[in-house]
Amino acid sequence: MSKAVIAGYVRSPFHFAGKGALTKVRPDDLAATVVKGLIQKTGVKPDDIEDLILGCAFPEGEQGLNVARLIGLIAGLPQSVAGATLNRFCGSSMQGIHMAAGAIAMGAGQAFICAGLESMTRVPMMGFNPMPNPALAEKMKGAYMSMGETAENVARKYQIGRKEQEEFAVRSHRLATAARQAGKFTNEIIPIEAGKEKVVSDGCIREETSLEALAGLKPAFDETGTVTAGTSSPLTDGASACLVTSEDYAKANGLKVLARIKSSAVVGCAPEIMGIGPVAATERALKRAGLTIKDIDIIELNEAFSSQAIACMRDLKIDLDKTNIDGGAIALGHPLGATGARITGKAAALLQRESKQFALATQCIGGGQGIATILEAA
Amino acid sequence: MIARACVVGAGVMGSGIAAQIANAGVPVLLLDIVPKDAADRSAIAKGAIDKLLKADPAPLMSRSAAKLITPGNTEDDLGQLADVDWIVEAIIERADLKQDLYRKLEGRRKTGSIVSSNTSTIPLAQLTAGLPDSFARDFCITHFFNPPRYMRLLEVVGGPKTRADAIETIAAFGDVMLGKTIVRAKDTPGFVANRIGVYWMQAAVTAALDLGLTVEEADSIMGRPIGAPKTGIFGLLDLVGLDLMPHVDQSMAASLKPDDPYVKLRREWPLLTRMIAEGYTGRKGKGGFYRLNTEGGQRVKESIDLKTGAYAPSRDARLDSADAAKSGLKTLVSHQDKGGRYAWSVLSRLLCYAASLVPEIADDILAVDQAMKTGFNFKRGPFEMIDQMGATWFVERLRAEKMAIPPLLDGAAEAGGFYRVDDGRLNYLGTDGAYHPVRRPEGVLLLSDIKLGAKPILRNGSASLWDIGDGVACLEFHSKMNALDADSLALMKQALDHVGKNMKALVIHNEAENFSVGANVGLALFAANVGLWPMIDDLIGQGQAVMKAVKYAPFPVVAAPSGMALGGGCETVLHAGAVQAHAETYIGLVEVGVGVVPGWGGCKEMLVRNQPGPRDAKGPMPPVMQAFETISLAKVAKSAAEAKELKFLRPGDGITMNRDRLLADAKARALKLVAEGYRPPFPPELRLPGPAGRTGLNLAVHGFALQGKAKPHDVVVSDALAEVLSGGRTDHTETVTEDHVTKLERAAFMKLVKTDATLARMEHMLTTGKPLRN
Repeated sequence: MSKAVIAGYVRSPFHFAGKGALTKVRPDDLAATVVKGLIQKTGVKPDDIEDLILGCAFPEGEQGLNVARLIGLIAGLPQSVAGATLNRFCGSSMQGIHMAAGAIAMGAGQAFICAGLESMTRVPMMGFNPMPNPALAEKMKGAYMSMGETAENVARKYQIGRKEQEEFAVRSHRLATAARQAGKFTNEIIPIEAGKEKVVSDGCIREETSLEALAGLKPAFDETGTVTAGTSSPLTDGASACLVTSEDYAKANGLKVLARIKSSAVVGCAPEIMGIGPVAATERALKRAGLTIKDIDIIELNEAFSSQAIACMRDLKIDLDKTNIDGGAIALGHPLGATGARITGKAAALLQRESKQFALATQCIGGGQGIATILEAA
Repeated sequence: MIARACVVGAGVMGSGIAAQIANAGVPVLLLDIVPKDAADRSAIAKGAIDKLLKADPAPLMSRSAAKLITPGNTEDDLGQLADVDWIVEAIIERADLKQDLYRKLEGRRKTGSIVSSNTSTIPLAQLTAGLPDSFARDFCITHFFNPPRYMRLLEVVGGPKTRADAIETIAAFGDVMLGKTIVRAKDTPGFVANRIGVYWMQAAVTAALDLGLTVEEADSIMGRPIGAPKTGIFGLLDLVGLDLMPHVDQSMAASLKPDDPYVKLRREWPLLTRMIAEGYTGRKGKGGFYRLNTEGGQRVKESIDLKTGAYAPSRDARLDSADAAKSGLKTLVSHQDKGGRYAWSVLSRLLCYAASLVPEIADDILAVDQAMKTGFNFKRGPFEMIDQMGATWFVERLRAEKMAIPPLLDGAAEAGGFYRVDDGRLNYLGTDGAYHPVRRPEGVLLLSDIKLGAKPILRNGSASLWDIGDGVACLEFHSKMNALDADSLALMKQALDHVGKNMKALVIHNEAENFSVGANVGLALFAANVGLWPMIDDLIGQGQAVMKAVKYAPFPVVAAPSGMALGGGCETVLHAGAVQAHAETYIGLVEVGVGVVPGWGGCKEMLVRNQPGPRDAKGPMPPVMQAFETISLAKVAKSAAEAKELKFLRPGDGITMNRDRLLADAKARALKLVAEGYRPPFPPELRLPGPAGRTGLNLAVHGFALQGKAKPHDVVVSDALAEVLSGGRTDHTETVTEDHVTKLERAAFMKLVKTDATLARMEHMLTTGKPLRN
């Protein structure tokens, strides 16, 4: 049985929703450009692609219908390439990679595009018609709880102070700034046409931010709390895509393999502290890989909020120096459905770049879940 | 016809004038000089437009109006003047610079275009001296007041060479399009309003110093008691800026004849000079006659001692005469305390001065009264003030005090006043000694004129119905602040019956400051305090029935609001078949501020109006979320244009810029609808989300509560509102009627009004005028 590998990773620039450079770009066009970019960059033969699996957290409006299929058509993929949109909120596009790996394992295809997408400008969080189940909302407050409130819950439960959260956020911006200045994103970003402009660079990174600047912000979600806009990932527009193939196919077609997918896991947790989802998911994925956290060299832990990222690192005993070394979502942005493919692809690319052996990509998921992927150098 | 305009000079006045032209929907070029070494040669005008968008009170009636203002500069963009019909010059007050600009305009501007200056101090004769006749023919002065959007006065001054039709074009544009009250002034210093207004200010200061009043005492008399703005004199100086005064004073003194009473009145005032030198220039500076002292962490209001110049905590003035003023100006000026003496000292001189200036500054007393009312926000003009005291009494007292009496005033005392009503028409005393009817411009219809010569068709303590001719009736609210009560509703019902049987159409309009501030909260609170729940419930039921009758009346009902139309006032507007709104109409459903939800169909109408158009997001929630946002945040539109954006007005509803034209426009609109064969609207059906929608809205409110943006009772009120707007126990596979929603409104209102927190909100609003955040 052939192992699944990641044989390519790209993304669009990430920009603030509502005010960034991508507000006028339709999400389907955005993702189609990224998909085309991936095909061009990897050299995969379009006819060989089994499926375009696209993760999206609010698949309605311009992200509605089966937008994965439509993106395939916009991108000019052969009609034979299928398309499926899937939703596991923030874990959506990492889940796409897991699905592709599963399909490869059962011999149900050789090459998959695993993409992710979110225009938080053009489709609002909660969607256009938020109609929660009144009985569930009454019985279980956490089921529909806002992410900010869960971040406060985690901060309280783990007693993570505001200063610690802000230091983590400043670190994220500092690393992202350094990575951009060193040209480390150039390879992964596909330029996007936005009207007459060509958007080539990220828009959310605040190069000048500082502890002093963050200390001046008001709490964003709870007036008595510690979580601010500065220690939360911003609402973001963006898309990402990975090429996932069987190892045999990659070798036979001369594709450049970034990493092998060693194990994966999803697991549920209490909705009101959804931010700790990565803990159980990572433990489960490590066990399946026969590894411990000490074996991991590269970690991409999604920064939905400083508080939850710090809590997860504490529980998992993660080494900060191995984590999000090019910055995380607090600096780069977090287009919900697109983040999973970004951090998994990024972890794979970093294994290559840093010549390391094992990598972990993991994230928390609204509603109370975690998802994790262990990668191994190919 | 003015299709395009240009304003040169992008200072506060110039950009404000450009904004008002844009508010009228007319494209306008805004030019200023090229700043030294500027990368952007039009930076000044661009910066001015940015400021317009941020200024408060807003010079623009909607953000989109800013798009009608094109920034430019006086070096590169004069070529664009070839398309411009009216050029307003509003640059620095220097005749040489103004003339340089005028010379630059010649040959570039469109033939027959009109040039006007916004000068307040330079005579027209001086501005046109040495310029060719071709320029002088097209030139006049248009003197706006600050801020141009809100101050209604526009003084228009023509010279001997000015084309009559140029003056007429500008006057018509200023009146109809810019909504201004036009006063034709003569080319004399300060024109009309400043000539008298500056005298008033000087007299008010001088008398306060002479009689030894504190600033608080002076302001307690020189404000509302005499019918002037409530700031009084020293508060007004703080507002306009102390540093402005020496400029105004010197320019007046320099241009007036040496024997002018103003020149005799003015004197050195070392305190003012010192204050300006020390940066106490008023509210824009470190403070003025009043200041907020924040030393020691507390905000203490202080005032200056006019003798010593030292600040001390402000103390409320308690003068009996200020209270006595409630029974009239005559009582005030006859009062023996220093407030009464102060009022007499200022008014006796001011009113004599005004009477001595007609016809020198304007042809008639009407112009003077209009100018002071619309340029200085006086409640009454000088001649109306004299009539209020009694011209004969006034002259007798002047005579007893051996003051000089101007012939015009003497004549009025003999004739019995400056104004009188003959055969139901208002007449004024001309300089020829005869009375002449007051003629309104074409297209102006005033309810106050109609009322002089007629009896109401129907009347009770809160409202009246008037015949305004051609088969159209006008329903007038006239309760205190036009708060709506059972009487208002009863008269609305009777009016609908009467018009249905005997007339063609109904206009709902009044000439008070505010159309209506909403239902009478005091009554509701009283009823609630004694547990008269059926009375409150009945008032809601009656209101709903009347609003429904307004909406489905078989004849046109045209609401013509001006000023505030809040709560029940807003609901009246929402249910009218058509609306002709004054541009300065401030509409909103503010019920949550007193802890209830709109109960007279306001929730229902906002749902109906927010039904999605073909390009809007579909599904049951968007209209509900939109209505919820508007009502739960008690959003108030700050203009009629903004009311359209918030959907309080429909796209087809009309806007009238000049308040005096509102009733005539509304009547014309009603008659047009009659001629077109008016049919009431078809009752809509609504598809609402039901309980899931309520849960969704409550989740959002929960987030605001956590953030501290929503207070505990906001959560309760919002939940009641969410239940109404989501349709109660409906499901989005079903449709509901308007009546279904109004039933929910009524139930929600009754549920809320029985809570202590709602009653606390009502009480707080009644006592402080501000909403309680509990």
